Amino acid sequence: MSGAGASRPLPARILTGLQQRIGMIAAFLMLFLLWEFAVKLFGIKEYLLPPPSKIWSEFLKRQNVVMAGAWTTLTEILGGYVLAVAISIPLAMAIAYSRFVETTIYPVIVFLQIIPKIAIAPLFIIWFGFGLFPKLLIVFLLCFFPVVVSSVAGFKSVDPDVMDFARSTGASPARMFFKIRLPQALPEIFTGLKIGAALSATAAVVAEFVASDRGLGYLLQQYNGQLETPMVFAIIVLLSAIGLAIYYLVEFIERLVIPWHVSQRPTEMTGL
Amino acid sequence: MARPVAAMSDSASSKLAEPDTPRPAAGVPVEISGVAHVFRRAGMETRALERIDLSVRAGEFVAVVGPSGCGKSTLLKIIAGLLAPAAGQVEIAGRCVAGPHTDLGIVFQSPVLLDWRTILDNVLVQIDLRGGRPAAYRDRARALLAKVGLGEFENRMPRELSGGMRQRTAIVRALIHDPPLLMMDEPFGALDALTREQMRIDLEKLWRERGQTTFFITHGISEAVALADRVIVMTPRPGRIERIIEIDLPRPRHKEVVTSRRFAEYCDEITECFMRHGVIQY
Repeated sequence: MSGAGASRPLPARILTGLQQRIGMIAAFLMLFLLWEFAVKLFGIKEYLLPPPSKIWSEFLKRQNVVMAGAWTTLTEILGGYVLAVAISIPLAMAIAYSRFVETTIYPVIVFLQIIPKIAIAPLFIIWFGFGLFPKLLIVFLLCFFPVVVSSVAGFKSVDPDVMDFARSTGASPARMFFKIRLPQALPEIFTGLKIGAALSATAAVVAEFVASDRGLGYLLQQYNGQLETPMVFAIIVLLSAIGLAIYYLVEFIERLVIPWHVSQRPTEMTGL
Repeated sequence: MARPVAAMSDSASSKLAEPDTPRPAAGVPVEISGVAHVFRRAGMETRALERIDLSVRAGEFVAVVGPSGCGKSTLLKIIAGLLAPAAGQVEIAGRCVAGPHTDLGIVFQSPVLLDWRTILDNVLVQIDLRGGRPAAYRDRARALLAKVGLGEFENRMPRELSGGMRQRTAIVRALIHDPPLLMMDEPFGALDALTREQMRIDLEKLWRERGQTTFFITHGISEAVALADRVIVMTPRPGRIERIIEIDLPRPRHKEVVTSRRFAEYCDEITECFMRHGVIQY
């Protein structure tokens, strides 16, 4: 239930968390074991499907290169994401509050959303070259729309009766915003933030695929070209870990900011 | 939102008193003259209200009963200044209403509590939004919550409570600042019959203690008769007052009163009124 989970000491919570996930962890371990033995048993070639042990050892050998690439990619992801959040939430507020902005700018945004953003990536290379900026822009572009759309929905979702009650108190616009509209909008804003977070890693890798000389996307292409399949796997795992970490960071913040909403939500699809 | 200047002068006049210095009991008189309203949507005009004239005495309990769509909620919003009428005017305590009137408490059919606040904080949001000191009202809020049977629940979140308990919270929220006017728009409409009966009894108690002028909108005929000093019977579109019935029954309206013959006769009178207009058909 509500406050109960939050008031317990952290180690105890981590322990119960592990207990709840013990089945999942066991299933993953089983999968890796099966994979390892199947590859050896059927003599599958390493460049087709390397065993987990080989992926690990190859990764350790070149971890300096890979970690440097991971750092580059992480910078692009976080930079683009933060940029998207910083611009889209104020913009969503403007759309929700101003009839003018809603009828002029919002339709344009909705229309632009239809463009396959990834298809624009090559254009950015022409315009902005190889550096960090075009990558930031692509991450920004992919994260921007879901955050704007859900935030607009959030800011507009106030029950008219709640607004009538608030008006009957003579509350100032600022008070109405901070006491009612903003808290009311937060659950939907966080939905958008999580969708954006999940997209951010994909966006960065695609941007690096198009044109780059560093980052995990670049390394992935290099290793793939040289048929170094264990390294390809290692990078895929690392990218997944980065994506997951960002997603859970946002979800952790959500738990801190809107515990009243998180605790009443049914168990999520991810179940993690 | 509309007419902010008028809204500001309203809130200035209704400065929050400290909770331990209650104002004298009794409510304010409300004068409704020639109020009419028209809704325009997609070029279509719908006449919602037609010339409503009504004088409400200070401290009177008025129930408005009518079928769905007769404009009773529209009337309530116009009185509260949440909606500007197409014609006519409303005076509360001798002052013309222009923009949201703030010296009142309001309750809707759904409790519209804030999910992120506890029951106690949901009551105190009334003070918070008015720019008062919620801490100063904490004791009063606790006492009122206890009076409606929510004493143990003040630290719970709204979703943990039943519909009836949430609506009780909404009523306490409407009374915490001791307003001289209470507006209720089908406040028991979403509750089951037993809860409804108990809420009716509790509401009468609360009203008798302070005597605030009360507007109670309902489509329950016996509920209206049981609570009101006067029942305003409205007919469907365009809504207008069909009859005004003085309910001359002793208070408190105990079981003996609401099962009495005269009580039944009042209910009959209203039912027949609706039958004449085809609202109820046998």
